[in-house]
Amino acid sequence: MAIQETLNTGLNIQPEAEADAVLQRRKYIGMNVLRTEDPAFLTGRGKYTDDVHLTGMLHAAFLRSAQPHARIVSIDKTRALALDGVIDVITGEDLEDTVGPFSTTVHRPEVETVTRAILNSKVALYVGQPLAIVVAESRYLAEDGVDALDVEYEVLEPVMDAEKALEEGSPLLYPEMGTNNFAHIEFQRGDVDECFERADHVFKKRFHAGRFMAAPLEARGVIADWDASGELTVWSSSQVPNLVRTYTAGPLGIAESKMRVISEGVGGGFGMKAHIFDEEVLIPAASQRVGAPVKWIEDRYENLAASLHSKEVIVYLEMAVQDDGTFLAFKGHYIGVGGAWPAHPWTSLIDPLPAASLLPSFYDIEAVGWSIDAPMTNRCPLGAYRGVGWTPGHSARETMIDDIARELGIDPLEIRLKNMIPDGEEFVTVTGMKYDGGSYSASMLKVKEMIDYDGLRQKQAELRKEGRYIGIGWSPWVEPCAWGSEVAKANGFAAEFFDAASVTIEPDGSVTVTTGCHNHGQAHYTTLAQVTADTLGVPFESIRVIENDSATAVYGTGTYASRTAVVAGGAIMRAGSEVRDKIIRLAAHAMEVSPEDIDLAEGKASVKGVPDKVMTMQEIGMLAYYGGPNRIPDTEPTLTATRSYDPPETYSNGTIVAIVEVDIETGKVHLQHIAACEDCGTMLNPMVIDGQMHGAIAQGIGGGMYEDLAYDASGQFLASSLMDYLYPSTTEVPNIEIAHIETPSTVTEGGIKGMGESGTIASPVACLNAIADAISPFGDIKIMKSPIGPNDVREMLRAAAAGSNGSAPATQPADVETRLSQQAEGA
Amino acid sequence: MSSTIDVGTQPTDDQRILRMTINGVQRRGIAEPRMLLVDFIRHELQLTGTHVGCEHGVCGACTVRVDGEVVRSCIMFAVQAEGAQIETVEGLAKDGELNVVQQAFRQEHGLQCGFCTPGMLLATESLLAENPDPSEEEIRDYLSGNVCRCTGYVGIVKSVQAAAKQRSQA
Repeated sequence: MAIQETLNTGLNIQPEAEADAVLQRRKYIGMNVLRTEDPAFLTGRGKYTDDVHLTGMLHAAFLRSAQPHARIVSIDKTRALALDGVIDVITGEDLEDTVGPFSTTVHRPEVETVTRAILNSKVALYVGQPLAIVVAESRYLAEDGVDALDVEYEVLEPVMDAEKALEEGSPLLYPEMGTNNFAHIEFQRGDVDECFERADHVFKKRFHAGRFMAAPLEARGVIADWDASGELTVWSSSQVPNLVRTYTAGPLGIAESKMRVISEGVGGGFGMKAHIFDEEVLIPAASQRVGAPVKWIEDRYENLAASLHSKEVIVYLEMAVQDDGTFLAFKGHYIGVGGAWPAHPWTSLIDPLPAASLLPSFYDIEAVGWSIDAPMTNRCPLGAYRGVGWTPGHSARETMIDDIARELGIDPLEIRLKNMIPDGEEFVTVTGMKYDGGSYSASMLKVKEMIDYDGLRQKQAELRKEGRYIGIGWSPWVEPCAWGSEVAKANGFAAEFFDAASVTIEPDGSVTVTTGCHNHGQAHYTTLAQVTADTLGVPFESIRVIENDSATAVYGTGTYASRTAVVAGGAIMRAGSEVRDKIIRLAAHAMEVSPEDIDLAEGKASVKGVPDKVMTMQEIGMLAYYGGPNRIPDTEPTLTATRSYDPPETYSNGTIVAIVEVDIETGKVHLQHIAACEDCGTMLNPMVIDGQMHGAIAQGIGGGMYEDLAYDASGQFLASSLMDYLYPSTTEVPNIEIAHIETPSTVTEGGIKGMGESGTIASPVACLNAIADAISPFGDIKIMKSPIGPNDVREMLRAAAAGSNGSAPATQPADVETRLSQQAEGA
Repeated sequence: MSSTIDVGTQPTDDQRILRMTINGVQRRGIAEPRMLLVDFIRHELQLTGTHVGCEHGVCGACTVRVDGEVVRSCIMFAVQAEGAQIETVEGLAKDGELNVVQQAFRQEHGLQCGFCTPGMLLATESLLAENPDPSEEEIRDYLSGNVCRCTGYVGIVKSVQAAAKQRSQA
């Protein structure tokens, strides 16, 4: 395979792309420019929501349900209202006339619509559901008020088993709907039955992907100031301030033009903060009611129990495979373990639907069929978290491919390379996804080289003789990114998406860029300034990028789904190219040459071949805005343009490998090393890309081995503090080595693909496959769930020793086998 | 609904005036006995660089130094810090210049969203004061009580190594 030929193949941009000239004059794109954002953060001046203090501001705390499923007989406010400093206690009935409902669906015929009161004080559907709001002079007093509320519950039977929730006769969360199933969707391409009949082998698997969540270090927070003139300003720790405005204005009964949403400092979002939350309606409603600004800052219990959970999908897979390891067809049934209601607006389908849509990944199969169900249960709602349902889907598929490789005696790298689509070319998958070129095999081979795979396999064999068990876990991925209309539809979401940017040369020649995306750690103020600098031909230092405020930046839908580099980058290239044309025409007019004779670089317009004929950007700015008759006749004075961009489908790719050592006596897994190779097309800032990879991989390590939002069978929530919900720390995350291949997109502006999520998609299963690889000498080891902790490792070893998953291979050391079976018998 | 809102500025019966030195400056403010040190620093003294991540002493976002010791200001009462010398992130830069540790975090991409950063910087200052030339393992061990959800710690470890190197050359 001529893999090397696909590396750094250069630019290949669609003819209709408008901004193809930008990369030809690139100076900043691709450079490790240090972050403009850092000095404020490093000096403690980050301006997060809780840092905002308004005159006369009151504080809110929520009464939240202690029961997973109950009728609320009564909430007695008497004792709370009697407390000194408590201003108001608000229940659902108090807002009936002023606050409308949320109505949530995905627009396709198979999907139900759930319409619900935003403050429901009559029925509790999960532990943590808001039941009442206490407003007081301080947060301490507001919490005193919550403690003084007397609540009487009539407990109902909880619906906790997602598969039983789909059965006839199950208790219902919404009796009027007649079902717990939010959606049933089926999809098929190619002759699936024929492939399964023809196959030498049919493999089957059930994989239960665990429930974990973004849990950003800064929890959510909302401040609302609904003033006497009817104007509403909301501060919210959100990735989507404009969507907060669009989606809450309706229920609040206010015009969007009278509403401003500010999300200036956001301490981590990871997709969780790309939703519209009940509190973003309820705190403005409270402000309106008490006639003062109201602040609510989510505490860690609320964040863990009652913001949004993610990723939990029960996956049934079947694969039709030939003796030589050729994959013919895949079938899947995805049961998304939804919560009390569909998260607004993405719904619980954000996990099972992308999981199913990406079932073939980059494997060249003939046919695919899948179905999904989305039962609602008495849990916290399920919503988007970095990598959405691609994570559970990927974990199920890739653990199964390792199972098959072991069964057929084929190396896990070889079986994947054998079935992979070609590198570097556009490819339409069996499901109809349009891949825009990638380094699918090359990224695997790059990581193979990075870890000295052959040498490592030898070392593994030698260590096994000493009773030490290391494992190597492969996880190559393809990631749908740059969430625009086409990629959304390819993943089952039939809706339109875009984003926008404005580019303005100010009178003094400095540059202001605004976009509708949102900066919360990804360094947009740096990377998008790099794009602007190369688009216009001006110095990086002359550019300021503004996002995060609906009043100061152009309208757009925000930052999520690895979209901003492509969507905002493309919009900036388009708007910036228009402004560049204006500058060139103006300079040509002023210097009395034709536009073709103008060079625009380094913030100066010069006449080609005439070194002393130069105009600075300041001279051009002043001429444009205040030059009067010296301007080009019949042109407008402003040097600005606003454009939007809705990119075609684009897909990044790469490979992660995890290397672990398992202590078979305790089940403890030591994650020794992670090596990865990513390909996101044209790189804007490799330092930032590495940072995104590192962080996403660490979050995936959490999902693969540590983080578990467990409920007991009665519906009580068991992960309500950070002593129960385990973040990976410096001692769980190893050093992470990242390599890059640049295969520019064949279809997007500038060849940029998205990136940022793939680490969380691919690293959980890299860990899981490494664990299975390490302990595979003990028998038929199959990973059936995530996360895998020490207990799970021990259970797998016990089961393997007892032969319950099949017979142990001859390579198994006899002493360990004996010991394990003795322990299994004793257990 | 109560019609008057009276947030007083004089201490009531159960409040008291606290005095402490923060970043070398004598400050005073009013606190109830139950007020957490982090809330006193953030809301009473309005030094909002110190953050609250969990309120139960796990995440390290609220890390400050009290009389030279690394402390989680979310599990300490403000009244316990009366008369103490406190260092917060606002005191690190001198004369508008980022200090060596701050510069290293910028140089090595040791931060993204910035929320854990103040706690990381304070913990790093303490580490380097105790151990000017820490190994990677010692860095990871020392910082294991400070959670970062963005960086995967790779840039943070490099930042600490770079700062140690820079300080040793100074």
